[in-house]
Amino acid sequence: MAIIVNLDVMMAKRKMSLNELSEKVGLTLSNLSILKTGKAKAIRFSTLESICETLDCQPGDILEFKADN
Amino acid sequence: MKTDKTLSIMKVISWITLIGLCIKTGALIFSFIVSIFFNAEKAKTLPMDIDLSLLYSFNAGHYAVIVLLMIFFLTMKTFIFYLVTKIFSKINLSHPFNLNVANLIIKISYALLGIGLIAMLATVYKNWLVKNGAFVLLKWEYGVYLFMAGIVFIVAQLFKRGIEIQSENELTV
Repeated sequence: MAIIVNLDVMMAKRKMSLNELSEKVGLTLSNLSILKTGKAKAIRFSTLESICETLDCQPGDILEFKADN
Repeated sequence: MKTDKTLSIMKVISWITLIGLCIKTGALIFSFIVSIFFNAEKAKTLPMDIDLSLLYSFNAGHYAVIVLLMIFFLTMKTFIFYLVTKIFSKINLSHPFNLNVANLIIKISYALLGIGLIAMLATVYKNWLVKNGAFVLLKWEYGVYLFMAGIVFIVAQLFKRGIEIQSENELTV
């Protein structure tokens, strides 16, 4: 997939577990796991906003574009 | 809640119809076997008040073909209602769009198409029989079946699109 989700990298940088992030962002663990594993087909701005707020980062730190070869 | 109620009522109706059609088909098969092998008089009192005694006296072979066609139509209708009851047992209103139901709807449209095409051939055959002096009062509305097949096929395609949208919605976080 061309859009890569770097949520695990940011979580590691902030030393935050999936459970903690799930509680702070208000997303279910299964939804966060869908996002982390790159299975998500879309992300709401509200979700992105809360993740960025919790992890103190920019959307670009979480999402990355890589062209398919 | 209202949809739930409607669906459960329709489920019961489809089961009753399925049982009724099974009985009807069984009765016709039984009467056909009796009229062919044991008692030709039975051709006068086929189920659904059909009297094919004149056709039987005209030619037993043509009588057999016509009754077999009737059995085929009834069997296909029974099969369609079997698929309908299967849809009702598999449908889940919280996730209404799933591949099983879509495949069942496609099967229904193919069954309707089959009935329509065979009914068309049966009508041609019946007209040929009437032209040759046989007396057949049966009428098969093949146009209705072909139209229904088209409509159900479109519904199946829309259902497939619904599956895609539902899966996208489920994978939106």
